[in-house]
Amino acid sequence: MKKIIIGENIVKSFGEGDEKRNVLDVVSVEINEGEFVSVMGPSGSGKSTLMFALSGMDGIDDGKVVFDGRDLSALRENELADIRRTEMGFVFQQPTLLKNLNILDNIIIPSMRDNRKNAAEITEKARALMKKVSIEELEKRDITQVSGGQLQRAGICRALMSNPKIIFGDEPTGALNSKSAQEIMNIFSEINANGTAVMLVTHDATVAARTERIMFMRDGKIVSEMRLPKFIGTDINDRMEKVTAKMREIGI
Amino acid sequence: MYYRIIRKDILKSKVITLTTMIFIAAAAMLVSLAAILVVNLSGAIDTLMTQAKTPHFMQMHSGEIDTGRLTAFAEEYGNVDEFQVLEFLNVDGAQIIFEERSLADNVQDNGLSKQGEKFDYLLDLDGNVINVSDGEIYVPICYMRDNTAKVGGKAVICGKEFTVAGFLRDSQMNSMLSSSKRFLVSENDYMEIKGLGSTEYLIEFRLKDLSALGAFETAYTSAGLETNGPTITYPLFKMINAISDGLMIAVILLVSALVVAIAFMCIRFTLLAKIEDDYREIGVMKAIGLRVTDIKKIYLAKYAAIAMVGCILGFALSFVLRGILLENIRLYMGESENSSFALLFGIIGILLVFLAIIAYVNGVLKRFRKISAAEAIRFGTSQEKSAGAKHFCLSRNRLFDTNIFLGVKDVLARKSIYVTMLAVLVISAFIIIVPQNLYTTISSKSFITYMGIGSSDMRIDIQQTDNISEKSVEILKTMKGDTTISKYAVLTTKTFKAKTEDGLEESIKIELGDHSIFPLEYSEGRAPVAEDEIALSVINANELDKKVGDVIPLVIEGKEKKLTVCGVYSDITNGGKTAKAVFNDNSADIMWSVIYAELMDKSLVGRTASEYANRFHFAKISGIDDYISQTFGPTISSIRKASFAAIAVALIITLLVTLLFMKMLVAKDRYSIAVMKAFGFTNSDITAQYVSRSVFVLIVGIVLGTLLANTLGEILAGILISSFGASSFKFAVNPLSAYLLSPLMMVCSVLIATTIGTSGVGQIKISENIKE
Repeated sequence: MKKIIIGENIVKSFGEGDEKRNVLDVVSVEINEGEFVSVMGPSGSGKSTLMFALSGMDGIDDGKVVFDGRDLSALRENELADIRRTEMGFVFQQPTLLKNLNILDNIIIPSMRDNRKNAAEITEKARALMKKVSIEELEKRDITQVSGGQLQRAGICRALMSNPKIIFGDEPTGALNSKSAQEIMNIFSEINANGTAVMLVTHDATVAARTERIMFMRDGKIVSEMRLPKFIGTDINDRMEKVTAKMREIGI
Repeated sequence: MYYRIIRKDILKSKVITLTTMIFIAAAAMLVSLAAILVVNLSGAIDTLMTQAKTPHFMQMHSGEIDTGRLTAFAEEYGNVDEFQVLEFLNVDGAQIIFEERSLADNVQDNGLSKQGEKFDYLLDLDGNVINVSDGEIYVPICYMRDNTAKVGGKAVICGKEFTVAGFLRDSQMNSMLSSSKRFLVSENDYMEIKGLGSTEYLIEFRLKDLSALGAFETAYTSAGLETNGPTITYPLFKMINAISDGLMIAVILLVSALVVAIAFMCIRFTLLAKIEDDYREIGVMKAIGLRVTDIKKIYLAKYAAIAMVGCILGFALSFVLRGILLENIRLYMGESENSSFALLFGIIGILLVFLAIIAYVNGVLKRFRKISAAEAIRFGTSQEKSAGAKHFCLSRNRLFDTNIFLGVKDVLARKSIYVTMLAVLVISAFIIIVPQNLYTTISSKSFITYMGIGSSDMRIDIQQTDNISEKSVEILKTMKGDTTISKYAVLTTKTFKAKTEDGLEESIKIELGDHSIFPLEYSEGRAPVAEDEIALSVINANELDKKVGDVIPLVIEGKEKKLTVCGVYSDITNGGKTAKAVFNDNSADIMWSVIYAELMDKSLVGRTASEYANRFHFAKISGIDDYISQTFGPTISSIRKASFAAIAVALIITLLVTLLFMKMLVAKDRYSIAVMKAFGFTNSDITAQYVSRSVFVLIVGIVLGTLLANTLGEILAGILISSFGASSFKFAVNPLSAYLLSPLMMVCSVLIATTIGTSGVGQIKISENIKE
C-alpha cells in the first residue's frame, strides 16, 4: 500500500534555555493511502502538535515529513498552503468558520480562491456535500444561527471540497454531545470508506475505537500502537473494550 | 490592580498605544498653544494700543484741508478728548534707498511722518515713545523682519541721507494688511523734504467715551468735513493688528479640532476592538455580579493614563514651541501684560482635552450595558449582525477576485469598525482638496471677475499726485496715437455722499467713466449706461441695503441726485466697497484714476507697460497679470504654502491612521487569519484581502471627501471670500491635481501603511491560534 505520509524522527520543542521541552521527541509515523488512524493520549502528550507537524502547518526542529512523495520541510510557505488547500482537509474541535460569511460561503471559500470562474460548479458540489451531511437547509444561515454539530458538519464539507488525499481531525467531536459526535463519526467513516485517509486526534476512546489503527502518545513519544479490523457498525462495544484495555495496559 | 492591568495591556499593544498617545499629545499641544497665543495676543495688542494712544477715529484725507474748521468741530463736539492732524508724506518707493537697495518693488505705500504731538505715538521696541533727532530715521518693524534695514545703516530718502536709529512699532500700520507704512523723522528733516512728496493728512480724534464712536462718525460725516480718503476707527485698528496672528490662532484651533477628532476616532476604534476581544470576560464579570461602572473603571483607567501622559507631553511641547509662535507677536506688539494668565489658560485648555477624552471613552463604554452576560459567555462575541452585506455572497460572486471579495465583504459586514477609518480618510481628502481648489481659483485668470474689473491687458493707476485729471488726459493722448493699443478707458474714482434710509449721510466711492468698454460680470443686473444709474459692489449693496431697481440719493453740491441701482458685482479690492456710474461731475476731488487698455498683440504687454512706465513716472503701470499677482501675490503664495502643508498633514494622518488600523485589525483578526491559513490561503492572499479592505474604504473616502470638498468646502471658501466682497463663489478646479494626483498620493500612503501594517500576517502561526 502506498504511504501518503511518512514522518521520520520528528523533533519539535517549545520554550528556550532551561525551559526548553521536546513536545515531539523523535517521533516516526507512517500513514497509508485510505487508512483510518487515530492518535490518543492525555493532554500535553503532543498529539495535536504531531498533527500540525504532519500537515505542514507547523515547522519541525529535526527529522523529516514526506507527504505524497514531497519533503514538506523543503517547501516554501506558499507551496505548503497550496498543498493544504488542494490535497488536505482539516476539521478542528471548535468549528473554524469565518464569522462574516454564511454557511455556504464558508464551505466554498478555499475552492473559490483558485477557481472563481467555476463558481456554479463549486456551489453545486458544496450543496451536494451539504445534503450528504444533512445541512442543505442551512446554506444561507449565519454561523451564529446554527448548532455546534451543524457547524462541524459544515467544517467537514469545507474539508471535502477539494477531494483531499487525507483529512486531519483535531478533536472533531470534542465540543459536541454524544448524539452529534456519533453522527460526525459516521460521516468520517463514510469519507474513509470512499478511499480518503483520515487521521483523528482525540482523547475519547469511543472515537478512537471507530478507527483501524490507534497510536498512543505520552510525553512526546508514541508509546504504543494497536490495530483494529474495519468498523462494521455493530461491534463498537467490543472495540471500546479493547481500546480501554490497551490504555490501562500502557497506563494512560 | 489597575496598574498591573494597564501595564500589561499597554505592553501588549505598544504601537497602538503610542499612536493614540501621539494624537492626544498633538491635540493637547495645539489647544494649549492656541490658549497661550490668544491670551498673549489680546494682551499685547491692548498694551501696544494703550502705550501708543491709538486714535479712536481717523480720517485720511488728501487735497485741501481746513484745519480751523476741524478744530472748531473738535471743540464743539463734547465727546472729543483730544484732536490732532498729522501729516503723512507719501514718498515713491524708488526714492527710499537702504544701502543701495530701493523700495521700488515694494507694494506698501511708504511715507514719512513726524511724531504725534498729543497721541498716536510711534514706539520703539521697548514700548517707549520715540524722541527722534535730526538726521535720524526710525524704520517700520516689517523692514527689520525682512532684513531691508539695519540699525546704524544709511538710508537715503529723496536724496537726503539719514542714519537708521532704530525700528518702530506703529499701532495703526504695523500689520502687513495695512497698506501704508510710516517712517519717523524729526520735525526739521520733515520740513526739508516736505516738497518732494505728496502730503496726506491723518485727521485723528480720541474720544472721552469710546462707546459713542458710532454717533461721532455720523456727526463727522454730517458736518461735511474732510473725507477724501478712508476712515478707520479704533475697533478696526484692533482687528487689523489681531488679524494675521489671529488667523494663525484660528488655523491652530481648526487643526487641533481635527487632531482631537482623529484622537477620538483612534480611541473609539481601539476600544471597540478591545471590547470585542474581551467580550467573554466582560460577560463573565457581569455574570459574577460586577457593576457596569466597576467594569468600565478598568477601561477608563487605561485611557485616563494614556490621556494624562499625552496631555502632559503636549503641554511640555507647547512650552517649547510657544517661543517660536510668540516671536512675531512680541516683535510687532511687544510683551503682553497678562502673559502670566497664559500659563493658566494653557493648563485649562489641556484639562479640557483630558476631560473630553475621558467623557468620550465613558460614552463609548456605554455599550457595556447592552452586552448580555449569557450571550457573551455562550458565544464569546457579539451576536449583532450588520445588515446589508447579507446579499453579497461569495457563491454569487463572478466579478471580483476571491481575496478582493473577502476584503470588501469584511468592510460591509463590520461597518462600525471601518466607519472610523472612513471618517479620517474623508477628512484627509477634504483637507487635501479644499485649499488646493482655493489656490487654483485665486491664481486663475478668471479670479479677476471677483475684483470688480473687466478683462483688459494693462492697468495704469494715477493716484497720490496732484492734477490727476490732466495727467490722465496726457496718457490718453499718447494712447490715442498708439497703434499697438486697440481700446482703452479711463475710470475716475471720487467720493460722494449718499443718503441712507435713516436720513444720515455716508461716504461712497464711485468709479465714473464708460463701463461698457471693459465690461465685467455682474452677479445681478447690468452695467450703468444712463446718467441716473449706479452699480454697487456686493458689500456696498448689503451695507446700504439696496437691490437692483432701488434708488440711492446722492448729495452733490448740496443738491440731491437720485440714482437707480442697475447692477451688483463682486469686488474684493478697496475693502470691497465700490460703486460704478457714468454721470459727469466736476464737483468732487478726484481720489484716483485708472486707465485700462487692451493691446492688439497680447505678447507685447510687458514691453508696452515698461515703455509707458518710463514715460509717465507719476503713474503705476502694470500688465494685468502682474497687477493680480502684486495685489494678491502674498495671499496666493500663502494659500499655496497652506495647501502644500495641508497635503503633507493629510497624508501623514492618512498614513498613521491606516497603519494604526491595519495593525489593530491584524491583531484582532489573528484567529480568522490562522483559520484561512489552515485551509490553504497564503500570506499574500491575506495581505491582498487587507489591501482591498483599505483601498475600498479609501475609494469611498475619496469620493465622499471630494463631494464634500466641492459642496461644503466650496460654501466655506465662498463665505471666506464673500467676507472680502465676492458673490456667487465657484471653485476653479485643476482636475489633474485634484482628481488624479491627490487621490494617487492618498492611494500610495494607504498602500504603504497597509503593507507595513499587515507585515505581521506572516508571523501568525496557525498552531498557536487554533490549537485546542
